Amino acid sequence: MIRPAVIISLVMSMGTVQAAESFTHEALPIFQKHCYECHADGAKKGQIVLDEFSSLEAMQAQPELWAKVLKNVRSGLMPPSKEPRLAPEEMSKLVDWLKRVPLKLDAARPDPGRVTLHRLNRGEYRNTIRDLMGIDFRTDEEFPADDTGYGFDTIADVLSTSPLLMEKYLMAAETIVAQAVPLESRTVAMQNLNAGKFTVNGEVREKEGLRFLSFYDPHEVTGKLQVKQDGTYRLTLDARVRGSFAYDPGRAKAEFKLDDQSQWQEELKWQDGKSVNVVREVKLTAGEHAMKLTLEPLLGKDQKPKENPGDGPANVDLHFAGVILEGPLEPEFAIHPANYDRFFPRPEIPADPAERRAYASEILRRMTTLAFRRPVDEPTVERLVKLAEASGPKFEYGIARALAAVLSSPRFLFRMEETLPEADPQAHPMLDEYALASRLSYFLWSTMPDRELFQLAEKGELRRNLFAQVQRMLRDGKSQEFVENFAGQWLQTRDVMSVSIDARIVQARDAGTEKEMRARVDRFKQIQREIDQAEKAHDDAKIEALKAERQVMRDMFGAKRIEFSEELRRAMRKESEMWFRYLLREDRSVLELIETDRTFLNEVLASHYGIPDVKGGDMRLVDLPPESVRGGILTMGTTLAVTSNPTRTSPVKRGLFILDNILGTPPPPPPPDIPALEASEKTADGHEPSLRETLAKHREAPLCFSCHNRMDPLGLALENFNAMGLWRDQEKGAPIPVLPGQLATGEAFADIRDLKHILVTERRQDFYRCLTEKLFTYSLGRGPEISDISTIDAIVEKLESSSGKFSTLLMGIIESPAFQQRRRSIP
Amino acid sequence: MNPNFTRRRLLRGLGACLALPSLETFLPAKASAAGVATTATGAPQRLAFIYFPNGAIHKHWWPTGNGADFKFGQTLAPLESLRHRIQVMGGLDHRNAEAGNDGAGDHARANGTFLTGVRVKKTAGSDIYAGTSIDQMAAPHLAKSTRFASLELSTDPHRKSGGCDSGYSCAYESGLAWRSPTAPLSPETNPRLVFERMFGAGNREERAASLAKRRAQQRSILDFVMDDAKAIERDLTHRDKAKLDEYLTGVREIEQRITAAESFGPPPDTAVPMPIGIPTAYDEYIRTMFQMMALAFETDSTRIASLILAHDGSNRTFPEINISEGHHSITHHQEVAETMEKVALIDRFYVERFAEFLTILESKHDADGQSVLHNSAIVYGCGNSDGNRHTHHNLPILLAGNGGGTLHPGRFQQYDGKPLCNLFLNLTDNLGIPPLERFGDSTGRLADV
Repeated sequence: MIRPAVIISLVMSMGTVQAAESFTHEALPIFQKHCYECHADGAKKGQIVLDEFSSLEAMQAQPELWAKVLKNVRSGLMPPSKEPRLAPEEMSKLVDWLKRVPLKLDAARPDPGRVTLHRLNRGEYRNTIRDLMGIDFRTDEEFPADDTGYGFDTIADVLSTSPLLMEKYLMAAETIVAQAVPLESRTVAMQNLNAGKFTVNGEVREKEGLRFLSFYDPHEVTGKLQVKQDGTYRLTLDARVRGSFAYDPGRAKAEFKLDDQSQWQEELKWQDGKSVNVVREVKLTAGEHAMKLTLEPLLGKDQKPKENPGDGPANVDLHFAGVILEGPLEPEFAIHPANYDRFFPRPEIPADPAERRAYASEILRRMTTLAFRRPVDEPTVERLVKLAEASGPKFEYGIARALAAVLSSPRFLFRMEETLPEADPQAHPMLDEYALASRLSYFLWSTMPDRELFQLAEKGELRRNLFAQVQRMLRDGKSQEFVENFAGQWLQTRDVMSVSIDARIVQARDAGTEKEMRARVDRFKQIQREIDQAEKAHDDAKIEALKAERQVMRDMFGAKRIEFSEELRRAMRKESEMWFRYLLREDRSVLELIETDRTFLNEVLASHYGIPDVKGGDMRLVDLPPESVRGGILTMGTTLAVTSNPTRTSPVKRGLFILDNILGTPPPPPPPDIPALEASEKTADGHEPSLRETLAKHREAPLCFSCHNRMDPLGLALENFNAMGLWRDQEKGAPIPVLPGQLATGEAFADIRDLKHILVTERRQDFYRCLTEKLFTYSLGRGPEISDISTIDAIVEKLESSSGKFSTLLMGIIESPAFQQRRRSIP
Repeated sequence: MNPNFTRRRLLRGLGACLALPSLETFLPAKASAAGVATTATGAPQRLAFIYFPNGAIHKHWWPTGNGADFKFGQTLAPLESLRHRIQVMGGLDHRNAEAGNDGAGDHARANGTFLTGVRVKKTAGSDIYAGTSIDQMAAPHLAKSTRFASLELSTDPHRKSGGCDSGYSCAYESGLAWRSPTAPLSPETNPRLVFERMFGAGNREERAASLAKRRAQQRSILDFVMDDAKAIERDLTHRDKAKLDEYLTGVREIEQRITAAESFGPPPDTAVPMPIGIPTAYDEYIRTMFQMMALAFETDSTRIASLILAHDGSNRTFPEINISEGHHSITHHQEVAETMEKVALIDRFYVERFAEFLTILESKHDADGQSVLHNSAIVYGCGNSDGNRHTHHNLPILLAGNGGGTLHPGRFQQYDGKPLCNLFLNLTDNLGIPPLERFGDSTGRLADV
């Protein structure tokens, strides 16, 4: 019960009768009925007190508290599930009051917030250099990794610029101009006939444009050369021997023929990295010429060595990349080098000094405008021209020097945003169209705006064509960057490639033989140590005995190798990303991210999932069998693996994943000095407890209960999937019981299919809000703040009415004030 | 060629007007007084680390005998003429390179642990984590004395991205030096670029000018971006300014470094011609790179250097000595005597190159009349002990040089399972930098080095 004195003092000091009335009429009855029992009159459960405010100002001085109240009430965490729920009209009344009064949110004129000066992250830098300079600069090798915030590497506040990075930027600028800007205006024409343009007999492995020709199979690779002029040409066969870590005795006879004339013959063997180095100058007549590369095995398949434990399988291939044709070599046929026109649009460099200067300034104005992603001012162009001129007589070199300066400039490295003039000093100004073009292209492409976006911004027509442009951008292949970078980080699909899973132990654990397996591994290690000692002691008899034992164990281990292979991991990653992209491109409902009866599979992944009739390596859309547990991100291999420990599942991590990434209600981090789950596992007496039982015991501790009661039931719904995402009926050799679970908000579910269904029905709004917040964070490069609540709520409402269409979400964010405007500067 | 740098040639090179009496011409004024990394007489003291891959065949590596009374085996025999400058160190370990809970990947670990002493984080992603390497613990203290705080070199230009060995990032085996636990220093693999950094490009007459030109160009870019930053700074709010400040701090630091380099005056002159690039023959490649390191020491361009001859796990073939199998493959020799002999030949091949390097250093004299080798401490070794079994105890480790009088070479000493990191502490102590409390898995200093 609330003390009258508090109410009176609150009413008296509220200033306006209206505000006082809103509290007493709208909020107070609900607080009294549902909240005060635990959070008033001296009760302060969870350190939350809701009745000790002397004035409206005192209330408004604690926006974090009210934001928390709003979040917990809306997500159904408060009141707790054992207490009566808020009636729908109570809910909307309270939510409305919280937003309007203590949080002071102005839904009509939302605060757009302000994004800190945003440095390009290394992915964005690499893509921007590719589009601007026409070369691929491997920032993943050259630059240190970027920090992440809110789970994304696009967060302006944490994208810092260390002195080390600054040094790398300057070096990178030098390397890039040296590679990209041609210093000669004439060169020999070159054609790259890559491996894909050749026909290969039989099926061979392909990767990154290479064809892998095994030394154990006969191969015939044929292709055609088209030559326009008679002349001398240089032909380079681009191929390399690739051998495994382990030695492979495979050998093959290789021959390369041009128009049936042998150009090269060699016996190839296991020499990893050896380039075949075939360069021939030939006279060719205009027209078509035939090329043929053959490989003839010299060692039978039956002689291929068995795998040597520890070294991986042995193999040896010729990696065929294609043929490079240069020519005609005669000087009169010389052409502009590749990339020349990108920088130097005129055929010749003018001789006249004034003309040269004008040309330099024309080039630098255009390139700098592109690099800065907005028109450059004339004084800057003049300074760049001077810099170019000061570097010597060679025109192209001068331009290269000036461009190195441009690439080192803060206006290239940071995304500078400007706003349109705003007459009303109280209004938040709109971003200008160049800033908008950059926001769009870094959001959906992770790179600089293309010509079309740039031209629209120039004409001031981008805002008017936003929807059409977004559709165009999604159709463009560059939108794959969005899928990989956003979904890759939100759903952690990137991490499946590197997550450490010990397949052997995981499977032994399911079968109930983990102890034996570990004992075997330990014994193996011990034998190795004993051999060491025996060798020191020169005890030959003992060495022999130990080696014999080791061999027995090797045979046992080697018999059946279960692996969480790279191929499988890659298929998993693709499944998640392709499903995300499919929903995006087809503009389907985001709810299908969770509940669906289709997914992308290839043979490897389908057999891992136990789904029949999917053959071959290509990923394709598959209708899942009725009642399948698969479909949707919760039961995809990526999610199941990245939320596991190396040797077992982690229902806690899996529950946390759902709370964090689907429901948007992560529990606070655990208190320090918590014993690991394994520690309590060992102390349990009687039979060895299942993970489920161990967790149940753990939840009994009051300190652990409130959070684990939210995480564990969600994670346990996935207990039938082991750490590799394989379906299993038993853990530690005992059957896994199918037990109903319950969300902290009260909804009961029978199994994982049921849980998915609840997430897209009863808890649908939580998911909409969570996904909106994630995408909002990713696209703007800042975390959501209290002032963004109205903006995000508006998008969630639209999602509700469109049944979750992807375009509603994307356009909701792109059209939001946060994306379009910038908080006015406070002078 | 032999860069025999006699005094007469030096004088000829510098011209009569610079006819100063000793190699002190190379010593910047502020460093010639005794201080950090100098000997008692004020001559510079150098510290270097050389890594060879895949462990060694022990029965040929270890000398027989002990103390001063020892005899080199076949692998170390090329060092015979320098035995008074060599200490062979048995029984030093890198336990953090062992499998522990991390499973496979002994090569990456051996490599990543070698100068950091820590258990590197098993990841093929961008979240690599090791530790600051011992050379980089020392380098900042010496930075003011020489043109370059340290030099990182490699004769293994092949660099893959992403994962390299059983789930370890390639970053762990692309070099040895780590500026911080997350910042590996990429070594330079092209001897020509090493040369250009120290002396400028082109022929002897052009170099000083080319280096000056290069610095001028760097400066013109820095000037441009400084102006640019100032121009935009006016429109920025508080938080944005803080971001731009990070940028400006970085720019200023680079500017200061150029200014500091210029304060040393024109680059040292050397009769050694500029290398053309990476020599095709591997032995020549290593020889040229060692020559660059010797030049750096001789001209006091730096006092700290590291060179990785090849990454651990390297599967290079050695046609020079008629070995067509990959080095790594045959280190898994399964005790087959013939294969072991081949590996031992490769071990010796690397030792021969190292001996050539030491010979150069022994032929150069510092201002105090001692050889450059006398005034150096050079660790030569591998983080893998037995490549066949992937062990990391009793590592093959040599210590060359007298450390300016702080070391006692000419011996074969046993240390009975002490961490290699203990030796690192002795060596950094000897430089006169503030003593490190511990490093990696160190348990103290070695008693008798």
